[in-house]
Amino acid sequence: MKTKKMCAILGNVSKFHELLPLTENRPLDTLPFDCKYRLIDFPLSSIANANINSIFMVFNDGETRSVFDHIGGGKEWNLDSLQNRYFVYFYQDFLKQKEQGLPYFDSVIDYLEKSESEYTVLTGSNMLCNIDLRAVLKSHRNQKKQMTVVYKRMKREEISLNDSIIDVNSEGNAASIQKFKESEKGEQFNLCMGIYIVQTKWLIEQLNIGQKNDHSPSIHIFLENKIAEESTAAYEYTGYLSNIHDVTSYYKANMDMLDSNKFNSLMYSKQKIYTKLKNEVPTYYSENSLVKNSQCATGCIIEGSLENSLISRRSIVKNGAIIKHSIVMSNAKIAENVVIEYAILDKNVTVEAGVKIIGTPEHPIVIEKNQVVSTDKWRK
Amino acid sequence: MKTEMLAMILAGGQGTRLGKLTKNIAKPAVPFGGRYRIIDFTLSNCINSGIKNVGVVTQYQPLALNNHIGNGASWGLDGINSGVTILQPYSSSDGEKWFEGTAHAIYQNISYIDQMDPQYVLILSGDHIYKMNYETMLEEHIANNASLTVAVIEVPIEEASRFGIMNTDENDRIIEFDEKPAEPKSNLASMGIYIFNWGRLRNVLLNSYSKDGQMLDFGKHVIPSYLEAGENVYSYHFDGYWKDVGTIDSLWEANMEFIRLENELDMRNKSWRMFSKNTISPPHFITETASVKNSLVVDGCYVAGSVKNSILSTDVQIKIGSTIENSVIMPGATIGKNAKIKNAIIGENAIIGDNAVVYKENDIEVVGYSEVIGVQSDED
Repeated sequence: MKTKKMCAILGNVSKFHELLPLTENRPLDTLPFDCKYRLIDFPLSSIANANINSIFMVFNDGETRSVFDHIGGGKEWNLDSLQNRYFVYFYQDFLKQKEQGLPYFDSVIDYLEKSESEYTVLTGSNMLCNIDLRAVLKSHRNQKKQMTVVYKRMKREEISLNDSIIDVNSEGNAASIQKFKESEKGEQFNLCMGIYIVQTKWLIEQLNIGQKNDHSPSIHIFLENKIAEESTAAYEYTGYLSNIHDVTSYYKANMDMLDSNKFNSLMYSKQKIYTKLKNEVPTYYSENSLVKNSQCATGCIIEGSLENSLISRRSIVKNGAIIKHSIVMSNAKIAENVVIEYAILDKNVTVEAGVKIIGTPEHPIVIEKNQVVSTDKWRK
Repeated sequence: MKTEMLAMILAGGQGTRLGKLTKNIAKPAVPFGGRYRIIDFTLSNCINSGIKNVGVVTQYQPLALNNHIGNGASWGLDGINSGVTILQPYSSSDGEKWFEGTAHAIYQNISYIDQMDPQYVLILSGDHIYKMNYETMLEEHIANNASLTVAVIEVPIEEASRFGIMNTDENDRIIEFDEKPAEPKSNLASMGIYIFNWGRLRNVLLNSYSKDGQMLDFGKHVIPSYLEAGENVYSYHFDGYWKDVGTIDSLWEANMEFIRLENELDMRNKSWRMFSKNTISPPHFITETASVKNSLVVDGCYVAGSVKNSILSTDVQIKIGSTIENSVIMPGATIGKNAKIKNAIIGENAIIGDNAVVYKENDIEVVGYSEVIGVQSDED
C-alpha cells in the first residue's frame, strides 16, 4: 500500500427541495455557478489538486444525465489517465439492498479495498469552497484521531435547519454535533461542512458493522453519526464558503462573485478550479453596451446594459435590454428593451422584446429552463 | 494503416517580418483573436474537413508551438486512427536534416508520410487566417483526375506581383505559373495550399534528390516541373476570407477585422468551429469603473479601464483609468493605472506600467512578450 494515498467519496444525496425549480431535472451538484462552472467542479477540483486519483460518486437515480454530460471522461479533472478513475453509484441501490436485507455497503467496501488507499475523504457539493485537502490530511495525521471533520464559523443567517453544528472543545476536537435549531442562542456557529478524512481501513470496518446494525445508508449521515461515538478532530476552514441550500443562498453565492475579495478567494487561490472545457468564441461588447460590475463567460454578444449580473456562455443581450442583479445561465436570448432585475434565468431561456421580469433581493424570481417568456413576471 | 489524405502543415517559417512577435516563437504560434494562435485556423480546418492525421513540420523556435499542439486533443486529433505528429529536423547518418524549403521539408519527412501511407498529401502553411473545406478541394482534385491541385484566390491585380500567379484555361487547368511576376497575366494567386497524389510526388522528390537536389520549394521548383512534365495541374477557387498575417500591419488589421460581428470568418457559426487549446480561467470581470465598446473580451480578464475597438486576450488586466483603443492585448498582459494604449499590439505577459503611453503616430506600436514598459505600481 502506498502511504498517504487518498481516495474520495463524493456525493451528498440529500434532496434540496428549497432549490426547486432549479433542481427539477438535475442534482444540486450540476447547478451552474458563476457563468461557467457547476457546483461539483469545486469538490472535484479540490480532489484533483490533492492528487487523489480515484473517486466514488453517489447520485440519486434519474439525476445523472447532466452529471455525465458535464464530467464526460473526467479529463478536465485529471480522471482519465491510466492510473486515475471514477465510479458512479446510485443511492437508490443502497436503499433497495437495505430493504431486501442485503449488505448494502458492500459496493463501497469493495471500492475502498481496491483503491489501496490509506485515507478516504468524504465530501459533497453543497458547501461551496476551495479547500486544500492535503492540509486537512496533514492535520489529520498529526491529530492521530479516527476522524477529522471540517467546519467553518458561520453567521446564524447562513445556516439552514438541515445543517449540523459542531461543539469544538479546547483541544480542537469535535465534542458533539447536533442539528441546527431556530431556538439556538448565539450569532456564530461551527457549521459542519460534511467534509471528513478517515483511515480507509477503519472506514471499511465501520461500514461492515454499520450495515449489520441497520445504520443509515447515506455515508454522510453515517459519518456524521459517528462523531458522537468516536474521538474526532475538528479542522477549521477559513477560506470562502457558501452554504447552498435554497434559492436565496444559491443566488447570494453567485452574487458573492461580484465582490472582488470573495471572487479572488474562491477562484484565484493557489488551487485552480477546473471545469468542462468549451471552445467558445470571445464575448463581443457592442458600441452601445453599458456594463458595470458584472461577469460574463465567452460566446456572448452584449449590446444592452448589465449591472451586478452574471452572464453565462453563448447568451445574447440585445440593444436596450437592461439586466440588473441577475444570474443568466447559458444560451439565453434577451430581446430588445427587456428589463430583468433580481432574477435567475435557467439555461436556454428566451425573453421577448419589452418584457419585464422583476424579483426582489430576498426572493429572486426563477425562470425555468427552456422557457419562452412573453409576458411580464413580477414577484413582490 | 491506410490514410486517404494526410495533411502536412509547414510551420517552420521564421516570420521575421513580425519582428519582436516572432523573436522567440514560430509565427504559427503567435496569439490571435483573443484566445487563438494562428495555427488554430489551419488545424481546425483539418478536423472540420474530416482529416484525421496531421503532420506539423516545425523548425524555428518550436517550443511554444509544440507546447500548444501537444497531443492534438484540443482539436480532437487524439482518437483511434487519428493523431497529430510534430516533425522536427533531426540528425541522421546521412547528415543533418534541416529544411531548406517547403518541398525539401516534405522530402525530409518521407519516412513519416510512408508510415501513414496516404493516397493524397495536403500541403498547408500554418500562418493564414481563414476557414476552408479541404474535403471539397479533394473532391475536385479527384473529379479532375489531377496530379496536383493548387488552391487559388483572386487578389487585386496591383498586388498580384507579390504572389505566385496562376494562368488557367477555361477548365481551371493551370497552364502557366509565375512566381512573383513583374507583369502578372492574371490575378489568381496561389494560397500555398496543395493536394498532391502522394505516389507521384514521392517519385519526383526521390528522383530529384538522388540527382541534383533542385526540388527545394513547391512554388519555385515543384509546380513548374509538374507543368513542364505535362502533369494534370488544376486550380481550386477559394473565395472566402483569407488573410496572410505575416507582417505587423496585416496581423493588427486581421485582429481588428476579427472584432466585428459581421466578419466574413463567421466565427459564431457552429457548423465550422475553431478549436484552440483551452486555458483554465474564471469568467471575465468588468468593474464599476470600466467601459467596453466594440471589443472582444475572453476568460480571466479584469477590466477597470476603458476599452474601445480592441481585443483583450485570456488573463489580461486593465487597471483603473487606462484607455485602450484599436489595440490587441495578448494573453497575460497587465496594463497599469492611467496608461494610454492606442494602435498597438501588446505581447504575451507584457507589463505596461502606470501612466505609460504606448502610441506612435501613423504606425502600429509593438510591445514584445514579457517586455516591461514604465514602472509597475506596488499595489494589488
